Amino acid sequence: MRAPRSERKVALVTGASRGLGRTVAEFLTAEGYSVILTARGTSDLEGVGTNLSRSGADVHCVAGDVTDPRHRSQLAEHVRAAGRLDLLVNNASELGPTPLPELSTYPLDGLRRVFEANVVAPLALVQILLPWLERSRGRIVNISSDAALGGYPRWGGYGASKAALDLVSHTLGEELKVRGVSVVSVDPGDLRTAMHQAAFPGQDISDRPLPSVTVPFWAWLLEQDPALVTGHRFRAQADRWEIPA
Amino acid sequence: MNPFSAPAFAVPSALEADRPPEERGVARDRVRLLLSTRTTDEDRNFSDLTDILQPGDLLVVNESATLPARLPARSRVGEYFLHLSTRYGPTLWVAEARWGAGTPGPLPLAVGDRIDTAGLSARWVAEFPGIPRLGFVEFDRDPFDAMAEFGRPIRYGYVPHDYPLDAYQTVFARVPGSAEMPSAARPFSETLVRSLRGRGVEFAALTLHAGVSSLEVGPDGGATDLLYPEPFRVPAATVEAVARARARGGRVIAVGTTVARALESASGSRGLHPAEGFTRLYISPERPPRIFDGLLTGFHTPTSSHLALLAAFAGAPMLERSYRAALERGYLWHEFGDSQLILRDRLPAGAF
Repeated sequence: MRAPRSERKVALVTGASRGLGRTVAEFLTAEGYSVILTARGTSDLEGVGTNLSRSGADVHCVAGDVTDPRHRSQLAEHVRAAGRLDLLVNNASELGPTPLPELSTYPLDGLRRVFEANVVAPLALVQILLPWLERSRGRIVNISSDAALGGYPRWGGYGASKAALDLVSHTLGEELKVRGVSVVSVDPGDLRTAMHQAAFPGQDISDRPLPSVTVPFWAWLLEQDPALVTGHRFRAQADRWEIPA
Repeated sequence: MNPFSAPAFAVPSALEADRPPEERGVARDRVRLLLSTRTTDEDRNFSDLTDILQPGDLLVVNESATLPARLPARSRVGEYFLHLSTRYGPTLWVAEARWGAGTPGPLPLAVGDRIDTAGLSARWVAEFPGIPRLGFVEFDRDPFDAMAEFGRPIRYGYVPHDYPLDAYQTVFARVPGSAEMPSAARPFSETLVRSLRGRGVEFAALTLHAGVSSLEVGPDGGATDLLYPEPFRVPAATVEAVARARARGGRVIAVGTTVARALESASGSRGLHPAEGFTRLYISPERPPRIFDGLLTGFHTPTSSHLALLAAFAGAPMLERSYRAALERGYLWHEFGDSQLILRDRLPAGAF
């Protein structure tokens, strides 16, 4: 019952080798998407790819850094080869220097790298892939964070970049309405991931749920009319997911 | 473990309603009604609602209709049943795989497994996080027609026989989508609704499609406070009806825990507002209900999240007193059982 390749939806997921990105990639392939996956860690990414391929999924792994324009062009080449793009999940994120520094002493080069990975790169991918997304009336999902709203001490660098990404998502949502492309921002909530562990070095984070806790949210979001949800921000672990009035 | 302050008790099997009241020679609208207020528990009859309710009171009902959501299924693990719980999209459902009415899973299904069910081909695409009995199932086409042809209403071990889908519909059912009947409204008959309207009692509707309830008993027999998301919709007309009832001093009565949950899910800092989406809002004493003054409901099992909601609404002492009364006086439990109307003291003026 899997559709032939040309009819299958295609998704590109960044940061797909671990944590949330991996969970999203697994859910999408189970749902019948062909996926193009990218992450910096080659061996982790290949591991995910091998696992998914074994279950019959159509998976293309392209290791690299989304802040590198050449890597982004390479991703666009894979989209061209796939012949379509229905979903872009900008999940790859840079936490910044750890332990997380306070803003008063935040290394500015580090801050630039955080913004480069969390704001510039996702937007650059949107720019380069927009023709494909437009053709399929596709969706863009930008992964945000509670830190974008929080004002939590030492989360200022990462939080500011995610707040900027939220505004990028909101604005793109408005700008791309006429072109039929939907943009949402998703705060996945606290998760038991390598990134979360890096933010809390040496602490026990086993009380946080695994990224699979977000699966029902992805199932819900991807079944919503893209035009109704565009421009909005969702919390994957909230007790309500409302369709905006 | 009891995660909320609600009574711990056992329901004797004699008090488990094992068939519809009509099969026991009791008309739909003549089941017993326990009227519980701050001071007393009165034995009444459901049809007495025409006296108990006052002109200006508002009954908020769930329009969700029950689906024949139990499908025969087969895959490499053998033959079993799929209980379709919640529709996420035309071909994507959350479902529970069970060996039978009284024999739950979890079944050893794996992600990617192919399932043949009711003439459809499907795949088990993902486990439901934290609830091993549930998973996402992707069908090759919309299963509504297959349900109409091959499906039966979901039942559990305490109901030994199948009954037709009509036995599982309320008089308010308009929108198909519930895996299990929103049973609080089952005793209403057309005649009773007419009498109540004639007396000046108003009705307003919303939708919450109830999923399967089976998982509310944990593997250790204890409570699980895992609620999974269910689709709901509170229309503007119902928001307005609630405001009108408040303005005229009428009481807002939620008919069932599904209605209570939908109303509370549509309430936020700006009060009650029209809302649509999925909710897994857990109403407990830490997050007490704010929208309604009365709750008309059935009798719930000790470990259910429904009971946490009741405790949050009535307060644990009142709930404990009334459940003790119900057990002593032989009220019947479950979807075919008796009813309880819990009336709380009025919300202060100015509350939403």
